[in-house]
Amino acid sequence: MTDLPRNQHIIASGLIAGVGLSIAYISFTQEPAAAFVFPRLISSVFAVLAVWTFIKAMLGRTKVGNGISAQAMRNMLPGLIVAIIYIYWAAKGVGFYTATTVAFFVLLSLYDPAPHTQLKSWLKRIAITAGFMAVMYGLFAQLLNVFTPREIFF
Amino acid sequence: MEFLFYMGDVFTPINFGLLLLGTIGGLILGATPGLSPTMAVALLIPFTFQLEPQQGLILLGAAYTSTVAGGAVSAILLKIPGAPANIATTLDGHTMATKGEGAKALQLSFLASAVGGLFGVFLLIFLTPVLAQWALAFGPSHLFWLAILGVTVIGTLDSSSVVKGLLSGCIGLWLATIGFDDIMGAQRFIFHPAVSGGINVIPALIGLFAIPQVITMFTKGRSSDDAEIITVQRHPIRLAVLEVFRRKTALAIGTITGSIIGLIPGVGGQIAGLVAYDQSKKFSKESEKFGTGHSEGVIAAESANNAMVGPSLVPLLTLSIPGSPTAAVLLGGLLIHGIFPGPDLFLNYPQVAWTFIDSMLIGQLLMCVFGLYIAGLAASVARVPHAVMAAIVLGLAVFGSYSVQNSMGDVYVMATLGVAMYFLERFGFSAAPLVLGLILGPIAEANFIQGSMIANATVGTGTYFFTGWLNWLLIAIVVASISYSVWMEIMSRRYTTKDDAVAKEEALS
Amino acid sequence: MKTWIAGAALALATLTGTAYADGHGEYPERPIMLMVSYGAGGATDFQARIVTMTAGNEDALGMPIAIVNRPGAGGRVGWNWFASEAESDGYTLGAYNIPHFIAQSIEGGVSYSAESFEPIANWGADPAVFVVGADSDFNSMDDVVSYAKENPGGLTFSGAGLFVGHHIAALQLEKAAGVKMAYIPNNAGGAGAMRAVIAGEVLGGVNNLSDAFRAQAAGNVKILGVFDLERNAFLPDVPTLKEQGYDIDNASVNFRGVMVPKGTPQPIIDKLAATVPAMFENKRVKSRMEAGGSPMHIMTRDEVLAMWAAREETLKELLAGL
Repeated sequence: MTDLPRNQHIIASGLIAGVGLSIAYISFTQEPAAAFVFPRLISSVFAVLAVWTFIKAMLGRTKVGNGISAQAMRNMLPGLIVAIIYIYWAAKGVGFYTATTVAFFVLLSLYDPAPHTQLKSWLKRIAITAGFMAVMYGLFAQLLNVFTPREIFF
Repeated sequence: MEFLFYMGDVFTPINFGLLLLGTIGGLILGATPGLSPTMAVALLIPFTFQLEPQQGLILLGAAYTSTVAGGAVSAILLKIPGAPANIATTLDGHTMATKGEGAKALQLSFLASAVGGLFGVFLLIFLTPVLAQWALAFGPSHLFWLAILGVTVIGTLDSSSVVKGLLSGCIGLWLATIGFDDIMGAQRFIFHPAVSGGINVIPALIGLFAIPQVITMFTKGRSSDDAEIITVQRHPIRLAVLEVFRRKTALAIGTITGSIIGLIPGVGGQIAGLVAYDQSKKFSKESEKFGTGHSEGVIAAESANNAMVGPSLVPLLTLSIPGSPTAAVLLGGLLIHGIFPGPDLFLNYPQVAWTFIDSMLIGQLLMCVFGLYIAGLAASVARVPHAVMAAIVLGLAVFGSYSVQNSMGDVYVMATLGVAMYFLERFGFSAAPLVLGLILGPIAEANFIQGSMIANATVGTGTYFFTGWLNWLLIAIVVASISYSVWMEIMSRRYTTKDDAVAKEEALS
Repeated sequence: MKTWIAGAALALATLTGTAYADGHGEYPERPIMLMVSYGAGGATDFQARIVTMTAGNEDALGMPIAIVNRPGAGGRVGWNWFASEAESDGYTLGAYNIPHFIAQSIEGGVSYSAESFEPIANWGADPAVFVVGADSDFNSMDDVVSYAKENPGGLTFSGAGLFVGHHIAALQLEKAAGVKMAYIPNNAGGAGAMRAVIAGEVLGGVNNLSDAFRAQAAGNVKILGVFDLERNAFLPDVPTLKEQGYDIDNASVNFRGVMVPKGTPQPIIDKLAATVPAMFENKRVKSRMEAGGSPMHIMTRDEVLAMWAAREETLKELLAGL
């Protein structure tokens, strides 16, 4: 277990070093050169620092950051999946308000500690969702005139 | 003292009503995620079409003042900075709120805002001619060095490792180069249509700060709620007043840094809060407490971002050049009534100009009073169970980032950056330096290119960037700042062990 | 037979509720959005807010128009979005700036051209002017050009960016006077370019007539010439470049107006083309625009189409030499 953060650090800093090196490569090969002067400078510093961090992680000398425990990962996964479906697909696919309502309610049901067997806790969740959506609709649609992607139901 | 003469105009029933409306409306708009002060003021412009010039400006002035302060509400309670100005407020403010000290954090922030704001407006009243020269003194070479100075702050800002702080800053600087470059119009690093327009700062801010917090709440799962019921502490206003004035250093640094930096066209407003935060951390006797819910952090950041409001209008009122996007919108508010700002604005339209400035003074006080009132109510947000909170913050983040440009692309950027930031934070990187890089990148780059174009046509790059007292002064500060960071890194090697760092991380999250 | 099918299709579409685009009889049924590809507070944004303020009136569209800003890269960000992602349902309008977007499409690297958009109406024309600081030694365009001749490539002058109206004016000046000058594009737009002139960072600058007019009133700059065919009513004393002996036409004049993306149903375009110019004619709009020092120039859809085509030709010729 003690080695878990260390391995994670190696993976994380390795990924960042990869990003750093690839953007450095892109900056130095792309044209027009005049537009890439600044990116070249940044990406060089970026790549050097990232590789340094990676080497430190390999040597096990990373001091800050405590990684992610397996338990935390298990807990966050359902919420993260719901959020990702909501943001990347549903918000545009089924409509902004519809998707937010569903996602909000699902997240509440997933993480709210109130028992799933009681009718009362379900009613409470529905009430919170309705209240939140009413505020959002009033603020963004009515007051600020924000145009959201079309809804499928209305 | 002419401003006292027109003070009475602020208190006529209609004008005072508009002032109240602007203040309350501004607080609400300011607290809405995604709605920066610029957009909030722009939204109010159509209402001023119907009003007299004086009334219109009272409404806009009050709204500008209070949207800046209102941004602190969402920054502290939800960790969603409403605008770049409020980034620094989240660092300590939100930590205080999670400890149940939300009321205290809000009270401090509104009091500090009022102190800074009043100071800024008084500068505008008494020192406008001097300040106007200062605002013009910053050419491309100086703005470039200023941006570099900001970059050097990155290493010491809210990060326990200088290297990781700098690396976070580099990520931000790189993200800022995505999209069309501002001068040549060339496309860079466009790997997905959502970023073809570049990364917009406000959705990025929302994602980088709010989403990691949502995911952290997810990691707590269903069961652990009972373990951490937060007792929301009531906090008497009297104590908050004492606290603000006890933290003289932070208040003074915040106010002065905010007013000086706020004056510099194009840069000021966005970084005033962060620079003031960093400076007061360096000067504080308790610098290790910064980031752990320390009152000085909130005071410095909030006094700075409101102190900037007054001086940021100097170039507009005296030279007729808007120094910030918000000033540009206010210019529109003047123009529709046929009022052209300039040196003789105060001679030709004293009734309008002085009443406008007076309304910003009174607006600061009203904003403080309302702010203190909400502080008591709003602090109970910390008692909201984390499941509800996570869903609310996620919903607000999506709506807020969408509403900036009515764009789904911005929402994707917000979410992607947010999820990535959660993982980065677990490995010792932090969001504040990253955001600073994102803001400073375009400033540094554009001014460097403009400066070299001017230099090539005239005196040559070396002379242009390295001569003149203002360049020397800025370079000296840059060198001092880098040396300080290097020295800190060497010193900290001796005593930072993994356990210390972990302990600090725990205190943070 | 054909009309019958069309009628049935229309009825079906109405039934399923997807007929929002075809229900042109009722258009508009909800508020309309107007995309401005410059930031809040810029001249285009400011004017767009004024000319659309009466949209909600019964004699205009009957629905309010909300402004959405998509600034970046001299307008490229906004127009790219407008050409490739905006919905062509009539509820998404865009503000155009000529010659900016045409010049950018000729230069390349963007996903739009004049063919990607359908103009509705033009509201304003803001010529470019040449400004110098109030204490500058230059008093006419001849002074500027003779300095440029003595210092080839050494006369720095600012403008709002590359391939925008100011840049076109700068190219025309260099070509007509036969000199090489140093055009410094500013990342902060017209306001930033004006600041550079006032602060003395550059020797001169090309800027919008409306902004220069204000800066001159404030005593900060001198205006040496107008890049247009005729003198402007706001500045009757300032000669055009042509009068000063430089062969420069109105190709750089910044025309601002409203357009919709290609693919917007024809009935909606027709309805907008009929109502929008009348909306611009509104007395309140006119008085506000005049108060703000913004020259109005109302053109109908057909006039704008002709203007776009003419501009495209001139610009192609001008930019071919680059």
